[in-house]
Amino acid sequence: MFASLKRLFKNTIFRLSMIAAALFAVSSLIVLGYIYFATVVSDLNRVDKTMELEIDELTKIYETLGPVVLNQIIFDRALPKGASNVGNNTFYVFEYYDEEGNVNGGGNLPAKRFFTDPEKIPFWRKIPGLKSEKTREFEYAVTTISGDNKQTRRARGRLKEFLPSGAKLFIARDVENIMAASEKVTRALLISVAMAIILGLVSGIYMSSRFARRIAAFNKLATDVRAGDLKQRVPRDESGDELDVLAEHLNAMLDHIDTLMVAMRYAGDSIAHDLRSPLTRLHTRLATAGSEVKNKVARKALYEASNDAGELLRTFEGVLRIARLEAGERREMLVPLDPSVVLEDIAELYEPSCEDAGLDFALEIEGKHTIRADRGLVSQAISNLVENAIKYTPSGGAITVRLRKIRSGRSEISITDTGPGIPPNERDRVKERFVRLEESRTEPGSGLGLALVDAVADLHQAKFELSDGPGGEESQMPGLRAALIFPRYKRTK
Amino acid sequence: MRILVVEDDDVAAEYVRKGLMEAGHVVDLAGDGELGLEMAKAADYDALVLDRMLPKRDGLSLLKELRSDGDTTPVLILSALGEVDQKVEGLRAGGDDYLSKPYSFTELLARVEAMGRRSDPTAAVTKLKAGDLEMDLLARTVKREGQNILLQPREFRLLECLMRHAGKVVTRTMLLEKVWDYHFDPQTNVIDVHISRLRAKIDKEFDTPMLHTVRGAGYRLQV
Repeated sequence: MFASLKRLFKNTIFRLSMIAAALFAVSSLIVLGYIYFATVVSDLNRVDKTMELEIDELTKIYETLGPVVLNQIIFDRALPKGASNVGNNTFYVFEYYDEEGNVNGGGNLPAKRFFTDPEKIPFWRKIPGLKSEKTREFEYAVTTISGDNKQTRRARGRLKEFLPSGAKLFIARDVENIMAASEKVTRALLISVAMAIILGLVSGIYMSSRFARRIAAFNKLATDVRAGDLKQRVPRDESGDELDVLAEHLNAMLDHIDTLMVAMRYAGDSIAHDLRSPLTRLHTRLATAGSEVKNKVARKALYEASNDAGELLRTFEGVLRIARLEAGERREMLVPLDPSVVLEDIAELYEPSCEDAGLDFALEIEGKHTIRADRGLVSQAISNLVENAIKYTPSGGAITVRLRKIRSGRSEISITDTGPGIPPNERDRVKERFVRLEESRTEPGSGLGLALVDAVADLHQAKFELSDGPGGEESQMPGLRAALIFPRYKRTK
Repeated sequence: MRILVVEDDDVAAEYVRKGLMEAGHVVDLAGDGELGLEMAKAADYDALVLDRMLPKRDGLSLLKELRSDGDTTPVLILSALGEVDQKVEGLRAGGDDYLSKPYSFTELLARVEAMGRRSDPTAAVTKLKAGDLEMDLLARTVKREGQNILLQPREFRLLECLMRHAGKVVTRTMLLEKVWDYHFDPQTNVIDVHISRLRAKIDKEFDTPMLHTVRGAGYRLQV
C-alpha cells in the first residue's frame, strides 16, 4: 500500500493533477478571503461605525446634560422594541456614581448567566475585526417566540469610560445575522474546495494510472529491446496524441534498427562464411600437402602453417562468438540453474590438471543457489578463468573456486589464484578483445578469454570483477581474484 | 560405408572424399542442394556429410525434406556457423551430429564413423567388450583380464566412450561433448590429463597398452 502510494507520487501526471488541485484550492481560498472581507468585515465595520457615532452622541449628552439625563435616555433606548426584532437587538448599559457614591444606572443586557465567557468561545465563532480595549464580544442566548429552543447569538459592543467620574457606557449590537450569512458562504466555499481536491485526486489517480499503463508499455519495450528482443513494438491506440506519435516513431525506429541488425548479421555471417571457407581450404591444403611431402623440414613447416591457419580460424570464431553474445540474442535462452553443479563439473574437469601443475585446488560452495543462466556459456566462462589461473600460477600455488551469497541475495562465483595478478590500472583493459599484458605475450592464447567472460557476464546481467588475490597489494605475487556476480534469481520474469 | 558428401566447395569436397576413401569408404559427391537431395533419395547411403550453406537449396531444407520422406540416414552437418544455438537448430532439423568449420579431417572421420555405427539397429547393450577389457554398464564395473579395475564415474564414462568406438579415433572435442557435455574447446590439455589417469588405471599393470594417443587427432582404444 505504502509502496504503491510512493509510486503514485512519482507519477508525473498524478503530480501535475495534484498541483492543479492545490492551485485550485489556493485560488478558492483567495476568493473566499476576498468575499469574507468584502461582506463580513465591511458589515462589521459599519456596525462599529454606527456604535461609534452613537457613543459620540451619548458622550456629548453626558458632557452637556450630565449622567442623570443620559441614564434616562439610555433607559428609553434600551426599552424592548417588540419581540420580533431579535436580530436587530442593541444593548445599552450605563453605570455612574451618584452624589452618595452609590452605583446607579442600568441597561438591557441579558442576565449574566446567559453570557458565554469570551475565553470559551470556539475560534470559529469568534467575530473578526480589530481587538481593542474598547471592543467586547460576547455570546448570549435568546428563546425564540415560536418555540422554546434556545438560540445562542453573538453580539459586539463598545465600552466608553468617562473620566474622572468613572461612569461607564457600553453599547453592543447583535451581529449574529452577519456572521451566519458569512459562515454560510464560507462553508459552501470550503466544501467546494474539498470537493475540488477530492475530484483532483480521483481524476489524478485515474489519469495517472492510464498514463502509467502507456508509459509502462514503453518501458517494457525498452527492457525487451535491451534484452535482445528486437521484435517487440509498442501497442498503439491510434489516438494521434503525443504518446501515440512517440509510439509510432519508436516503432519506426525499431523497424529500422531491426533491418540494420538483420543486414549486419547477414553481412557478418557472410563474412564468416566467405572468409572461413578459404581459410579452411588453406588449412586443409596445407595439411594435405604436409602429409604428401617427404622432406622433414618442409613437412614440419607445412603442418605448422596449417596449425596457424587453424588458430586464425579459431580466433575469428571467438570474435564472432563474442559479437553474438554482445548482441544479446541468446538472452531468452537463459534458464534457472544451480551454479554449484556447474562448478562441480568444472572442478572435476580441472582438478587433475591442477594436480599435475603442482597447484592446490579447492572448491568451496556455501549455501543454496539458483541463477538464470546458460550452462554452456557459464561453464565456458568459468573454464576460461580457471585455465588462466592454471596458466599463470607458479607451481606450489593454490586455486580456489568459491560460490557464496553476497549482499541482497546475489550469487558470487569467484576464482582466486596466487599468481602474479593483474595491476589495478590494467584490470578494465584486459577485458577488451585482443588485449594481452606484456608479461603474457609469450604464453599461447588469443587475448579473447577475458573478453568472452565479460561478454558472458553481460549477457547474464552479471558483474565481472577483478581484484587482488590473497597475496596482498605489496607482495610479489598478489594473486588474482576474478568474480562473477549474478543478479538475484527472480521466479517471474 | 557408402557416404554422400554434399559440399559446394570443390577443394573441401575433394579433401573429404580423398580422406574418406583412404579410410576405406565409398564416397559420392554432390555440388549443390538440389543434386544432393536427388542423390540422397535415389541411393541408399550409410551416412551423409552435409554442408549447411549450399547453392540452390540450403542444407537444413534438404535435411528436412529428407526426414519428412522417412529417410533416417545419419547426417553430419558441416558449417561455418558454429554457434551452439545453430548447432541445436541443425540437430532439431534432423541432423545426427554437427561439426563447425574449421574442422580437422580426423574429427570428421571419427564423427562419421561413430555415426555410422550408431545407426546399426543393435539392441540396447548392457555389456561392452574391447579386447580383454570388459565393461558392465549396469553394475558399473570394469575388468581387464578378469581383474577388477576401480574407476571414478567420469573415468568410467570416458572409457565407455572409447570402448563404444573401440579401434577408431575419438577426438578430444568428441570426448568433451560426449563425456562432459561441453561444446567449447579448452585452451589447455585437460583431456590429456584425464586420459593419462585413465591410462594409468587400465594399462599400467598389463603387458600391452590399449589406450593410444593419435598425434594431432585424439585417442584410440586398440583392440
